[in-house]
Amino acid sequence: MFRITVTGGKGGTGKSFVAVNLALLLAKHFRTVLVDLDLEAPNDHILLSIDKLENEEPIKLFLPFINTSKCTKCGVCAKVCDTGAILLPGGAYPIIFPRLCSGCKACYYACPYNAIIEGYHVLGYVYRTSIIIENTELTLVTGVLREGEEHVPPGVNYTRKKAEEIETDILLMDTGAGTGNQISIALKNVDLTIIVTEPTPLGIHDMSNVLKITNEMGIRTWTIINKSSIGDTSKIYEISNKYNVEKIYEIPYHRDVVSSYVERKPIVVKYKNSPITRVFNEVAQSIMELVRSNGK
Amino acid sequence: MKIAITTNKGGLDDQIADRFGRAPTFTIVELDDNTLEIKNVYVVENPGSKAGSGAGVRAVQKLADEKVNIVIGPNPGPNAYIALQQSGIRIYAMTGMSAKEALKRVIEELKKK
Repeated sequence: MFRITVTGGKGGTGKSFVAVNLALLLAKHFRTVLVDLDLEAPNDHILLSIDKLENEEPIKLFLPFINTSKCTKCGVCAKVCDTGAILLPGGAYPIIFPRLCSGCKACYYACPYNAIIEGYHVLGYVYRTSIIIENTELTLVTGVLREGEEHVPPGVNYTRKKAEEIETDILLMDTGAGTGNQISIALKNVDLTIIVTEPTPLGIHDMSNVLKITNEMGIRTWTIINKSSIGDTSKIYEISNKYNVEKIYEIPYHRDVVSSYVERKPIVVKYKNSPITRVFNEVAQSIMELVRSNGK
Repeated sequence: MKIAITTNKGGLDDQIADRFGRAPTFTIVELDDNTLEIKNVYVVENPGSKAGSGAGVRAVQKLADEKVNIVIGPNPGPNAYIALQQSGIRIYAMTGMSAKEALKRVIEELKKK
């Protein structure tokens, strides 16, 4: 399985735009799974004109319960809890604060009396939807966090795990904005990272943050400069070279992109001769060469 | 009886800290159960002040470990509020004055009962 992650740091640079269009091009030649790891605001399905996500499965996160017949009120669970989700009031049994619990299971393993019962709470849902666009089949795995949930990384982890279970040639992961923990989960053990940025101060700043991570992790990295015609791209080239970026592509600001957005039809399907589609074809071609050579 | 006051640097001359879970220190005052005279004053660090998350719960845990009966400070957050209730610690919500002044008022209140 060849794993690709599309990320970029700044929101609104076009990560989902790139991921969706590349997935459709790759799916013509390889079995492809697109994974929407932006659990707080998943929207690849919107770009793909999917109105109803299918095959719902809950994302379960460990939540401790206290077996009061075994508990000795020793307080070990409260001491090891990294998020301060367990309180040991004087003389009473431990109290769990579910909203604070990150499901790390430290209390479960630390309890010397096996008094922690393994429970769970539902963090969100994973969906698996298959679509066919122009005789090309594409599988979309989407993770959705429930409203009010604070713990994103375990949800991202679970969604990726579910997607990894599917037998496929290419796993294309689309991350949310930011450079935090949930992004690094999507960067673990991948063959290629595509950083989508734009020539704006925020785009450049966040791109260099992501590049620091990918460079540190030793991941093969390409950059796509989206809306490249709206600003000065020289700084992006400079930083990309500094962090060993292998390839840089430019997607100019173009009317076709906007109208494909409005019509909910991915640009590679709607405007086959657009200059934007040409760039995507070029990127997809390079990816396929890599896949065929097993990433060498 | 033990009364804790959320403070910054600690001590009775300090001002009451304006946040509950993230107050840097607790100034703990031991009172004689009958006469309500101050027997001892000491300062402890609040583990909640440096915690990544769950500051309120950690702060209350410290108070429970110190066997505090009453805490003087700003309004606690939702988690700290439940934790205080479960631990049986009463809160006197007071800010904008020195620890000494707040303590004096609470002791007066206790003497009325």
